[in-house]
Amino acid sequence: MNTNITEKDGEYTVFLEGELDTAHALEVEQAMQPLHELSGKNITIDCSKLEYIASSGLRILLGLLKSAKGNGNKVVLKDLNDEIKEVFKMTGFIDLFDIE
Amino acid sequence: MGKLNNNTSQRVRNKSSIAILITAAALMLLISGIQQYSARKQIRSDLERNAEMELVIKSIAVKHALEDVELALRNRSWEFEQFLPYPDSLFAVTRRIVEQNPSFDGCCIAVVPNYYPEKGRLFEPYTAHRGEEIETVQLGSEEHDYSKNKNFILAVENDSSFWSEPYHDEDDPNVTLITFTFPIYNAKGEIAAVVGVDYITDRIGKMLNSKHMFPSSYHILISDEGKLICGPEEVGNTHQLAEETLDMINDSTRERFVSSSGHCTLLSFIDNEDGSKGYVFYNSPQNIKPWRIAVVNYDYEVFAPLIKMRWRNLLLTLAGLLILSFIIHRSAKNISKLQQATLEREHIDSELNIARKIQMDMIPKVFPPFPERNDINIYGSLVPAKVVGGDLYDFFIRDEKLYFCIGDVSGKSVPGALVMAAGYTLYHSLAAHESNPSRIMQALNEALSKDNETNMFVTMFIGVLDLPTGKLRYCNAGHEHPFIIGQKVRALPVKPHLPLGVVDDMIYTTQEDFLAKGEMVFLYTDGLTEAKDMKHEQFGLKRVESVLETFVEQGGIPTEALIHTISEKVAAFVGDAEQSDDLTLLAIQYTPKEKPIVLHESLTLTNKVSEITKLNTFVKSATTALNLETDLANKIKLAVEEAVTNCIEYAYPVGTVGDVVVDIEADDSTIRFIITDSGADFDPTKVSKADTTLSVDERPIGGLGVFLVRNLMDSINYERIKGKNVLRMEKRYS
Repeated sequence: MNTNITEKDGEYTVFLEGELDTAHALEVEQAMQPLHELSGKNITIDCSKLEYIASSGLRILLGLLKSAKGNGNKVVLKDLNDEIKEVFKMTGFIDLFDIE
Repeated sequence: MGKLNNNTSQRVRNKSSIAILITAAALMLLISGIQQYSARKQIRSDLERNAEMELVIKSIAVKHALEDVELALRNRSWEFEQFLPYPDSLFAVTRRIVEQNPSFDGCCIAVVPNYYPEKGRLFEPYTAHRGEEIETVQLGSEEHDYSKNKNFILAVENDSSFWSEPYHDEDDPNVTLITFTFPIYNAKGEIAAVVGVDYITDRIGKMLNSKHMFPSSYHILISDEGKLICGPEEVGNTHQLAEETLDMINDSTRERFVSSSGHCTLLSFIDNEDGSKGYVFYNSPQNIKPWRIAVVNYDYEVFAPLIKMRWRNLLLTLAGLLILSFIIHRSAKNISKLQQATLEREHIDSELNIARKIQMDMIPKVFPPFPERNDINIYGSLVPAKVVGGDLYDFFIRDEKLYFCIGDVSGKSVPGALVMAAGYTLYHSLAAHESNPSRIMQALNEALSKDNETNMFVTMFIGVLDLPTGKLRYCNAGHEHPFIIGQKVRALPVKPHLPLGVVDDMIYTTQEDFLAKGEMVFLYTDGLTEAKDMKHEQFGLKRVESVLETFVEQGGIPTEALIHTISEKVAAFVGDAEQSDDLTLLAIQYTPKEKPIVLHESLTLTNKVSEITKLNTFVKSATTALNLETDLANKIKLAVEEAVTNCIEYAYPVGTVGDVVVDIEADDSTIRFIITDSGADFDPTKVSKADTTLSVDERPIGGLGVFLVRNLMDSINYERIKGKNVLRMEKRYS
C-alpha cells in the first residue's frame, strides 16, 4: 500500500495505490495527517490505483473530509474502480464526496 | 352525506308515524262507530222492551185505580138501595160520596122516570163541586132530560156499568172527567136508578206520570174513541204535547211499527219546537180495553247514555291516539336509536373486518413461508372464534435464526385484537434487535403492563431456533407448553412464568433445547385443549397427545398435514357446538440439509490488525480455489475482513492477547465463514443498521463494519457457544 501526496498550484493530490485494508489503515492515516492542517487548499484523492478499501479506509477518508470541510476545503475523489464505487454506494459515501 | 341520510330517514319515520296514527285513528273511529251502531240497536230494542213493560205495568195501575173507584162505589150500593125508598135522602147520599172522595167531582142518581110519582117524571139528585163549594141540586127536568142520555139508556137497557168517554168539566175546561155509570136496584131487583160518578182523571194522569224511564217522557191515557183521558200534569205546554201526541196516534196516515213482540205500536216524530226526535209507544192493553196508554220518549234521552258514551269514546280515542302517538314517537326514537346502533354495529363490524384483515395481514399465512429454504418447514392456522381474535402467532428469520411466537390475549374481539396487534408490533420491533427470548419477553411484559387499564393479559411462548445448529432457545409466559415431535412426542418443559401484562417487573428466563434433524415443534393455544363439544367436555391435552402420537406412529407427515389433521379432529369433536375460543396451531419442522463439504480451511489469528493481511491472503486463496469472480471474491474478502476486524478490535480488552479463529467451509454452492473468538459476549447481529443518509457532519466515523458484513453476505448468524462468540456468514456463489 502506497500513499503519495503532491502539491501543484496550491492544490494537493493524494495517490493511493494498492489495498487499503485494516492492516494498512494506520500507515495511510498517518501519511495523510498533514492534510488535516491545510487551509484553503482543495484535495484530490486519486484512486486510479486503489484496488480495495475496507471500512477502516473509509474511516480515514471521512475523517479527512470532516477536517477539510471545517477548514473550507474541498475533497474530490477521482477514478474509483467499480468495486470501490459499489462500496461507496452501499455505505452512502458516494453522496458525501465529490466524485469525478 | 350522513346528515342528509339522517334527515331523510327522519322524514320517512315522521311520515310513517303519521300514517300509523291516521290508520289507528280511522280504526278507532270505525270501532267506535260499530260500537255506537250496535249500542244504538241494543238501546232501541231495550227501549221497545222497556216501553212495553212500562205500558203493561201502567195499564195494570190504571185498571187498579179504576177498579178501586168501581169497588168503592159498589161497596156503597147498599147505601143507595137503603135510601132508595126515601127520595130526598138521596141528596145526602150524593153529597157524602162527593165529600168523601176528593177525586169525585160529582155524583148523580138518575132515577128511572116516574119511579117516584111524587117527584114527577124526572128526579136526579146531584152533588158537584162548584168552585170552592159543593153544591147539591135536583138536576132532573124537562130541559135536562137524562132519560134521553145515552149513558142512562145504556145502563138501563144493558143493565151494565161502564166508564164514559172523557169530557171537560163545564166549570173548568182544564179538568177532564170520566163518568162511571152503574145501575142500582130496588128490593124487587128492578133497576131503580142509574148512578153516575164524575171522576177527575187528573189523578190517573198524575199516577201515570209519577215515574218515567226518562225525565222528559210522559204518558197519556186515550179513550176508546181516541180522546185524551189524562196526561201529564198541566205544566207549560205539556197539555199541548199530550194533544199533539194524541193527534199523531189518531193520524192514520202516519207510518207506525208494531214492536217486535207485537204488544205495542211505535211511531216516531220530530218535535216541532226543538227538532228533537221522539218516539210514541202505545198499547191496547187487554186489561183496560179499549183504552190505550201511550208513552213518549225522546231520542236525546233514550240515547243519552250513547251520547255520553260517544263523548267518552271520543275522549278515550283521543287519549288513545295521544298515547299511541307518544309510543310511536318513542318507538320511532328507539327505532332510530336501533338504526343508529345497527349502523354503529355495522360500522364496528366493518372496523372489525378491517381489524381482522389487518390482523390476518400481520399473521404470516402464506405457506410455505420460506420456499427458498429447505431447512425449515412451517405451517400455521388461526381460526378466530369471533370476527377478530385474541390469538396471535408469528415467525420470521433473521440472521439465520427462526423467531417464532404464539400468544393468546385474554378476551376476544376488538380489545383483544388491539392488544394482540400491539403485542405483535412490539414483538417484531424487539426481535429485530434481540435474539434472547427472555429479553424480548421482559420488554414485552414491561410495555404491556404499563397502562394496562383493561387488565388484559397475554400468555405467550417465544422461541428462537438457531438454524445452523438446531439450538432452540425459548421463553414461556404462562402459555401452554409446546410439544416436540420426533421419534416420540415429548412436552417441551416450560418454567411457570406469569403471563405478560400482570406484573411489570417479572423476571423471565430463557430455556434451551435442541431440535434434531426432522424434529417438529408443535404450538397451540387453549382454543385447542379447551375446545368444547355439545356436552361442554374439553378436547383436552390427552387427546392432543394421542393425535400427535398417532402422527408419529404413521412415520411423520409434513407440518401442513399435521395442522389439518388436528383441525379436523377438533372440528369433529366440537361438532355443532359454537367455537368458544380462537384456535391457533403452529407447527415448525427443522429439516437441515447437509451438503458435502468441498473445501474446509482454518486460520487462527491473534488480535492484531496486522493479522488482516494474513486473513486476506487466506480468504483470497479460498475464493481462488473455488474459482470465484474477482468482484464476488472482493466482496467476500471485505466482509470477512470487517467481521474479523471487529473481533480483533473489540473481543479482547486492550493490551490482552486472544485468538480469532476463521474457518472456511464450502459446499458446491455456498461458502461459509465461521469466526470464533473467546472474548466477551458480543452479538454483532444486534448492532443497529448504519444510517447511510446522514450528512458529513452527522455521520459518525466508524460503525460501518457490521453494516458492510450484512450487505455483502447473504446471511450472518451469531451464537454464543460454550463461552465463545461464533459468527457464521454465508455467501452463495453458484
